[in-house]
Amino acid sequence: MNIKLVLKLVGRVLLVEAAALVLPLAVALLYGEDPMPFLLTIAIMAACGFGLSALRAKRQFFTREGFIAVGLIWIITGLVGALPFLFSGTFASPIDCIFESCSGFTTTGASILTDIEAMPKGILFWRSFTHWLGGMGVLVLATAIVPSLGIRSHYLTQAETPGPVFSKLVPKQSQTSKILYSMYCALTGAEVICLKLAGMPLYDAFIHAFSSAGTGGFSNRNASVGAYNSLAIEMIITVFILLFSINFAVYFLILTRRWREALRSDELRFFGCVVAGTTLVISLANLGVYGGIWESLRYTVFQVASLISTTGFATADFVLWPQFSQLILILIMFCGACAGSTGGGMKCSRILLLFRVIRRGVRRIAHPRAVEVVKLDGKVVDDSTVHSILLFVGGYLLIIFAAALFISLDGGSFSVSFSAALTCVSNVGPGLEVIGPTGNFAAFSPLSKGIMSLCMIIGRLEIFPILVLFSPSAWRRA
Amino acid sequence: MDIIIVGSGKVGFSLAEQLALEEHNVTVIDDDEDSLRRAADQLDVMTVQGNGVSAASLREAGANSADLLVATTNSDEVNMVCCLTAKNLGTGYTVARIRNPEYNSNIAELRRNLKIDMVINPENATAIEIFRLLRFPAAANIETFCRGRVELMGVRLQEGDFIVGKPLHALSSQVKKLSLLFCAADREGQVSIPNGAFVPQAGDKLYLIGQPESLDQFFRLLGRNAHKVKQVFLLGGGKVSLYLAKILDSVGIRLKIVERGEERCRLISEKFPRATVICGDGTDSELLESENLAGCDAFVALTDRDEDNLIISLYAMQQGLPKVVTKCNRQNYAGIVRSLGLDSVVSPKFITASHILHRVRGMQNSQGSVMNSLHRIAGGGAEAMEFTVGPTTRNLGVPLKGLRLRKGVLLAVIVRGKDIIIPEGNSYLQEEDSVIIIARGGGILDLNDIYEDEAGFTSPAGGGER
Repeated sequence: MNIKLVLKLVGRVLLVEAAALVLPLAVALLYGEDPMPFLLTIAIMAACGFGLSALRAKRQFFTREGFIAVGLIWIITGLVGALPFLFSGTFASPIDCIFESCSGFTTTGASILTDIEAMPKGILFWRSFTHWLGGMGVLVLATAIVPSLGIRSHYLTQAETPGPVFSKLVPKQSQTSKILYSMYCALTGAEVICLKLAGMPLYDAFIHAFSSAGTGGFSNRNASVGAYNSLAIEMIITVFILLFSINFAVYFLILTRRWREALRSDELRFFGCVVAGTTLVISLANLGVYGGIWESLRYTVFQVASLISTTGFATADFVLWPQFSQLILILIMFCGACAGSTGGGMKCSRILLLFRVIRRGVRRIAHPRAVEVVKLDGKVVDDSTVHSILLFVGGYLLIIFAAALFISLDGGSFSVSFSAALTCVSNVGPGLEVIGPTGNFAAFSPLSKGIMSLCMIIGRLEIFPILVLFSPSAWRRA
Repeated sequence: MDIIIVGSGKVGFSLAEQLALEEHNVTVIDDDEDSLRRAADQLDVMTVQGNGVSAASLREAGANSADLLVATTNSDEVNMVCCLTAKNLGTGYTVARIRNPEYNSNIAELRRNLKIDMVINPENATAIEIFRLLRFPAAANIETFCRGRVELMGVRLQEGDFIVGKPLHALSSQVKKLSLLFCAADREGQVSIPNGAFVPQAGDKLYLIGQPESLDQFFRLLGRNAHKVKQVFLLGGGKVSLYLAKILDSVGIRLKIVERGEERCRLISEKFPRATVICGDGTDSELLESENLAGCDAFVALTDRDEDNLIISLYAMQQGLPKVVTKCNRQNYAGIVRSLGLDSVVSPKFITASHILHRVRGMQNSQGSVMNSLHRIAGGGAEAMEFTVGPTTRNLGVPLKGLRLRKGVLLAVIVRGKDIIIPEGNSYLQEEDSVIIIARGGGILDLNDIYEDEAGFTSPAGGGER
């Protein structure tokens, strides 16, 4: 275990994050607010960053180091990201700051704030900016702009990029990271422009563009996107959060004019079918709540997009919808976005493969000697990938149940405890009943908030990096 | 450059590794999933699973715009077809590994018809390398620069050599007037660049660079050039042995070849009637002794098992043979035996990879960067590089005494037209010179990297971590 190199990497990433803090600092200065929270944080991060980067370490770097580095970097990021909130003094307790910061970086969007509009603009900007940073990943950013993270930097991005199989766009990892971030920036910029044209104030447009780019869900309004009550804004956000929940490799294929390959993606089709199907079914089920099919469709499509992309914006309080609709929403929270996107959840490709593996299992019972391969995008998925998917799904469910168990100590109903665990691990944001779109997480005990913060990071990194971090065998010398 | 490597075997992997380190965009194609995953895990390359001859896989790997394709699968035919397909798709330059001697006989025609730009035969290349070592038995290894006009040799010093125990600046004028330079020293794995105060000790491996004639004279002074190789003992009758036997036979060196398979022995004796071919187990020391191993001038172990080769070579060394050459594909073994004094270890995979690398660097040269070739010396502890001085090179015409070079970097030789210059304080660089640089630890990609100043320093940050 090459802990020195891991710490050195932590230092480098801290430096990148310190640089990122300059943006909210500028916003705070622009609005004439107190810049101290940001200045202090930048000073602390830069000091630790320079200190750790100066470590002299051997170059040994393998999968184990990669996973531990990613886990450690995300936990530390969650902690130091809380510093501006802490220094601003507008939060109730340190654990609240940590919860908010983890929720930001993991693009969950669950908040403990009761009155968002009362917060300083710089703090709110940072809060949404963490979504943007965490969406594509801080390590992907670091590999894109710090060239010398080490030759095996794909071990890092591999652990950070969601999805069952990791593939590069171009041979070099740093180049891949650069392409990803350029596409990410371009899409975000496009959204800012669209929202501004639709009549949103520029500051709000940035906040919402960052939140939808990372599929996070922080808004600067108490009533979330519903506060604008504008069909145009809702449609723009719907389109963009769906775009951000598609695998970025698809955009690369389109940019390099490989249309056929891009549209052949099984996962993309599955995602489209799920979105269209659930929207239709829920709209029909919601007819009793809304006046007509069009109104029902308007609120449903936004909510479906918001939850399947694991963003968590709200225009309607779905807690008031029929139980049937709520259950479908819970199911799509499990499913989540596509692999290689900024969204959370178990990822469509895993769910799709899970269905295919189950189908194969059933057929094998009927024909014990049948030989059948599982395919995705016309290519055979090897058994080790299938195995890792089953492992992932099992681990995902176990963690949700374990977290729900701890959260239930607070005495909430089953729906609250379970949906809180699910929404955190899937990085969605809102849950059911008191933590629904209009509620917040302020009432939970510090223990629950800590558990939930950890769950968000576990979910964002797709379980294994954090589990490795807590496994003694990874730390043993031999 | 965009480079596609087909086949992720031994050669393909080490090629991909080196090319990715040199900042090329490398894509590896292979149909075996395990070896592909190994490449993807350990190297910064992209992988494509599929057959190298299928146009679909090649297109997916970007063959329509690639600058170079290297086909190194274990099938000659696949390699050939692969090059042809890639060339037709639009790849700039194709390299195929072709090892079957039958193809080698009409290789020129094949190359023309199949549009292969370069053919590499690992066994033949290995045989040529071994022949070079045998021609100059005193040197443990030999690297050539500028089409053979400059050679770099390593020699292991022994107790009683006249240069042992004296600082280099106190050497007699006889040595000093030779056109050569002591460019690196390897003492128990610690590589240094010797200066005048360096005191050589017995057991050190010293690297010399200069004109072949000067080196020849130096070895004569050292008293190591006494015996020319006249009788060679070859262990194993594989492809390398056949190629080597052909070369040795043609220059009149007597051969004794031990091979286990009877059928194979008959074939060898048919091809080389002058050679003594013995059918038997070469790892049996009794057989070796009865065939008077100690009476030969050189021993070459070429069986297909690395372990056998190494052990028998150690045995042969113990028997006092002046020159022992060992074939060993695994680099980690070579490191172990080097400490036991077995210096001349050749690896076909390494030789193949370095031949292709030379070509790639040559191509790069025409694209702007300036390295012509790179040789690893002293077990990888130092690199010897040949550059061509171009218009972008800085400090042209400035005497060297006015320049500061980076630590651990030596400007060893300047080749200007017909002259071979060993640089001194008043020497300077001018355009179209070829220069040979020795650098400890590596990290030099451009000639401008040798200067000790911040501008133009392209070595990756964090070089101190090595």
